[in-house]
Amino acid sequence: MKKKLIAALMVLSLTAMSIVGCGGSEEAAVSEGKGELNLFVWTEYLPDSVVEKFEEETGIKVNVSTYSSNEDMLAKVKSETAGAYDVLQPSDYMVAQLISQGMLAELDFEKLPNFSHIGESYKDPSYDPGNKYSVPYMGGAGAIAVNTDKVDSEIKSYADLFDPSLEGDIVVLDDFRAVIGMTSKALGYDLNETDPAKLEEVSAKLMELKKNVALYDSDSPKSALISGDCSAGMIWSAEIAMAMEEVPSIEVVYPEEGAYLFFDNWVVTKDSPNYDNAMTWINFIMDPENMAMVLEEFPYLCANTDAIEIMGDEYSTNPAKNPPADAIAKGSYVENLSSDTLDVYNEMWTKLKE
Amino acid sequence: MENFSKLLSVDYLKIYARSMLISLMTTVLCVLIGYPFAYVIARTKSKSRQLLYMLVIIPFWTNSLIRIYGWRSFLGNSGWLVKALQYLHIIQEPVDFLYKTGTTVLGMVYCFVPFMVLPLYTAIEKLDGSLLEASSDLGARPFHTLFEVILPLTSSGIFSGCIMVFIPCLGYFFVSNILGGGNTDMIGNLIERQFKSANNWPLGAALSIILILLTLLLVKLYQKLGGDMENLGV
Repeated sequence: MKKKLIAALMVLSLTAMSIVGCGGSEEAAVSEGKGELNLFVWTEYLPDSVVEKFEEETGIKVNVSTYSSNEDMLAKVKSETAGAYDVLQPSDYMVAQLISQGMLAELDFEKLPNFSHIGESYKDPSYDPGNKYSVPYMGGAGAIAVNTDKVDSEIKSYADLFDPSLEGDIVVLDDFRAVIGMTSKALGYDLNETDPAKLEEVSAKLMELKKNVALYDSDSPKSALISGDCSAGMIWSAEIAMAMEEVPSIEVVYPEEGAYLFFDNWVVTKDSPNYDNAMTWINFIMDPENMAMVLEEFPYLCANTDAIEIMGDEYSTNPAKNPPADAIAKGSYVENLSSDTLDVYNEMWTKLKE
Repeated sequence: MENFSKLLSVDYLKIYARSMLISLMTTVLCVLIGYPFAYVIARTKSKSRQLLYMLVIIPFWTNSLIRIYGWRSFLGNSGWLVKALQYLHIIQEPVDFLYKTGTTVLGMVYCFVPFMVLPLYTAIEKLDGSLLEASSDLGARPFHTLFEVILPLTSSGIFSGCIMVFIPCLGYFFVSNILGGGNTDMIGNLIERQFKSANNWPLGAALSIILILLTLLLVKLYQKLGGDMENLGV
């Protein structure tokens, strides 16, 4: 009798768990007259209010899934059935990789009149010459956040984050290209270093960083700064802006060595069954007013110059929200590396985390 | 094959050793906490027994990920624990509880104690009360009764509890990510990374095979020692 009760309870708790797990996908099957659109985007990067506005205006049902690293996204898109996602939001180097693997559809610019709102300097990027496959969304830098109440030493560069006084007190992105790139920069090397001898040095330097890092977090690294668990860190610039609003003693520093930069873009997958809806979405999000709604919530560096005008001075003069031009000019982007070099990077990362 | 030879590199062996250690600590702590707990539940009168039993089950109804995030804000620098300790003047400055190996073990124990309590409860429940009476009638002190009568008779429960804690513990990756801050990888983290960010599926698959072999080995060991598969709930 008792045993049956136990079995019943176990089954019940298992069912409860699986129901929690499946909730999202059930809804996804429902579609209305205008069809649907499957977005696969970064976490904390696209406000729900904007998606709701789009649904109201167009009658298209939007399903949003999220990821927290470019590599996760690539792995997921490859493992899902073709056409599971219509629109992706890859960063610069990942756009190039997706193009080279033939995974993207060319954009139809006749359906994207709002492309005119994008600033000239953001058009025709090196990773997608002529914007054949992508339009820029938002970007930023892996900048340094410092809580000046808690840190006495002056922090000006990535190299300062290796200072022994910060032991167990910093948060960095859980992203191997960002962290290894930052370490290379601290040694005066390239963000995309490939020289094996130099990478040996970087690997040794990473061990110094290991002592200082309390937390690896890409989803919401600001929380550890706000709660006071960490006093400094290398995190997304806009996350610093949000942390500054909560804790005034937090400051943003663009490293002297030149920051790690990223820019995320809208692209459409090759097998997208909802190509027209995808175009409607991309055009919608390039509308300055809608883009301003995004910036209200997630104040990243924005390619949409007309949206920046709507946001006014509060946005454009805040260095964490709108990184100064010289910081952008000095910084560098992550580039694709050969698979041999990537293996070395992965080994270094495993060593750091063991 | 090349991937299997890679598995023998020092880095991976270290991670394996650490995962084993963390799982072992978790298992031992689960036995120490779970055993008295299960004993009390099994020995109380039927009404309150149901209630105690439910108290073990109910936390299961919340997703474990959410519960682990709860621990994170509880233990954080501005969390309740630090505030309470400061209020009681036990500590002056905030102490870092988070992002340590100990925190990972704490989270693991918290997640897995019910898996230990349930098989122990079944085992202890089957224990015949008259044997305990006989033991004390024959002059054994309670201490002796515990080690010579109760523990041997419930050993199958202890063993199946250990298996149910140790094995999933090896593969749990989010606890060490959230409470350990991602500083110390476990096998689970390593496998997860091969499939996601490192995008090296063959290596990830090889790593998983090792984990499966390890599991099979433990289950075989359990059978060898006379364990009943039914007690494992399989």
